[in-house]
Amino acid sequence: MSALKTDQRVPEDENMTGDSPTSPPPSNRSGNEALREMSNPHRGRAIKDLIARIAMWVSFFVAMVPLAWILWTVVSKGIHLLLSATWWTGNQRNINSSDVGGGARHAIEGTLMMAGVTALIAVPIGILTAVYLVEYGRGGLARAISFMVDILSGVPSIVAALFIYAVWVTTFGLDRSGFAAALALVLLMIPVIVRSTEEMLKLVPNELREAAYALGVPKWVTIVKIVLRTAFSGIVTGVLLGLARIMGETAPLLILAPYTKNFQHDLFNGNFPTLPMMINQDRGDFALASAAARMWGTALTLILLVLLLNIIGRVIAHFGSVKK
Amino acid sequence: MSVSRIGAIGAIALSGALALSACASENPAPAASASSGGTSGASAADCFSGDLKAEGSTAQKNAIDEAIKAYQTACANANIDYQPTGSGAGIKQFIAKQVDFAGSDSALKTVPKDGKVEATDAKNACGSDAWNLPMVTGPIAIAYNVKGVDKLVLNAEVAAKIFDGKITTWNDPAIAALNKGVTLPATPIKVFFRSDESGTTENFTKYLHAAAPSAWTYDPAKKWTGQGEGKEKSAGVATATKGQDGGITYVELSYAQQNQLPMAQIDNGSGPVELTPEAAGKTIATAKQTGTGNDLALKIDYATKEAGAYPIVLVTYEIVCSKYADAETGKKVKSFLKSFSSDAVQKSLTSLGYAPLPTEVATKVQSAVNAIS
Repeated sequence: MSALKTDQRVPEDENMTGDSPTSPPPSNRSGNEALREMSNPHRGRAIKDLIARIAMWVSFFVAMVPLAWILWTVVSKGIHLLLSATWWTGNQRNINSSDVGGGARHAIEGTLMMAGVTALIAVPIGILTAVYLVEYGRGGLARAISFMVDILSGVPSIVAALFIYAVWVTTFGLDRSGFAAALALVLLMIPVIVRSTEEMLKLVPNELREAAYALGVPKWVTIVKIVLRTAFSGIVTGVLLGLARIMGETAPLLILAPYTKNFQHDLFNGNFPTLPMMINQDRGDFALASAAARMWGTALTLILLVLLLNIIGRVIAHFGSVKK
Repeated sequence: MSVSRIGAIGAIALSGALALSACASENPAPAASASSGGTSGASAADCFSGDLKAEGSTAQKNAIDEAIKAYQTACANANIDYQPTGSGAGIKQFIAKQVDFAGSDSALKTVPKDGKVEATDAKNACGSDAWNLPMVTGPIAIAYNVKGVDKLVLNAEVAAKIFDGKITTWNDPAIAALNKGVTLPATPIKVFFRSDESGTTENFTKYLHAAAPSAWTYDPAKKWTGQGEGKEKSAGVATATKGQDGGITYVELSYAQQNQLPMAQIDNGSGPVELTPEAAGKTIATAKQTGTGNDLALKIDYATKEAGAYPIVLVTYEIVCSKYADAETGKKVKSFLKSFSSDAVQKSLTSLGYAPLPTEVATKVQSAVNAIS
């Protein structure tokens, strides 16, 4: 805020190009200050300041428009399905695209199961990689790993899916399954976890490590009991954000996990229901009111699940931090 | 400080959206299903329990969904999944042994394409002969969207020129000659085609090629060879046409009906024929079997001049192994297809925009299904 308190003035010939009707006026406080502190020598800077401020607000609202629009569309079109109890208890068995009714429980369970298995594999690998990079890694190997993680984070989800298809189905001759899709999601989740954990570990003050060493604590115990404990809440937040990211991934599911309308808890055999695939299924029959409503309802359910994970992440970050 | 202000605005926007949506939420639609229920084609003794996986043609999706519903209603422990990903994808997954049977709008190819022969690959994947069993027949509509034109007559020649981009406006003399008394606007014609590999495209181009060989010179194929703009799947082309004045596409009858698109009447040489399941059935009845034994691949006479026969039809097949490596899978496929080919289920499909199999063909299919092991 200190920048706003420096000399500035509002020019009389306000240049409002690029302004849209939605742009708000500058807040009263800074506006009054600006008027009070008029001084000619700084006119140029004041104009720049004003333009920058308007640009910032306009950008903010432009960025908010699609977000609010998407939320409004999904909520208004999908909420009525979520209000019925069957939505949370039933599945889509024997519900054809022209039929209404049924629930999304099979897909909710499927998405959560798949996300859980993905996390089970990706989280240990990701955290241990980050620990290596921050605490042990020096020289060529660490640089190579860091570089590889960068590359992995740039891999499009469809490529990860096709890679797993090539290994799992073409090379090993196994069936498409929920687990195969989870493997592709692991590839997408690992770099997210490595990067977020790395940042968190770097934030742990070196003094803590040095204090532990001074007391004769071995390095690995220091990492487990001091460094990871201190960074715990940040790591958990990173994991949950990573989960939220992969839960909506569709490409690996399209290629590796065919949808089923039935309950299915077997990740290794048979088709597997997930929310993104349920959306995709109904998308094909968008012209039918029943299918369209179900699609919006499923989309809203997925958004709520992701939102819930984000909230849990925030709560853990808030209460789980180490007491000072 | 600015962060909290942004947060506050976001919160207001969110809660506003939620509050408004609460008002806008409609009452749930009545839970009555439009489908003709009560067609349980499977007796309880026939039921299998477990999963059955199928994938393929979007053209038969609505039909097989209905058949699955009928079967699953009778058999509570049976789970049948059909992925409507297109005929090409269905056959690929069948050959890769990812699905138990495939749905396809055209029989397995016996001639090489890209160095591969589908029929041979399928045979290798099965370890036995693969059979094409015609299960559902569906008319393909030429659906259009032109303001003020509710009735349109086309013939193969003109249709071929439209879909090949040779006729570009709706008031072209060639179209006007077939539609005397109809005021055609000067709107440009916008062709939408299936961008995915589709049996619908293949059957439509087979028709154009057979009925207007001079106007449509391309070989029939799953990939579109004419002009226009590509859209994904049947639903994609139908939705695009609905949203575009001057649009025209080829799509299965059920999708044209769902989108309330007007459909062109086809003049096969004996006068304009309106698209009805019965008119399509007349064309199917002229089909010849090209497969041998229980392989029931059909050859349709697209150039038929029979009065009242609607010539653009497709036969969609279930592609199965004659003898499954896993006997259990064979039993499942047999049990389900028995139900699917039964008269009761077949009859229920008419209301969904499909034409029934001619009796002669239906009998052959039923005996072929019985021979699956």
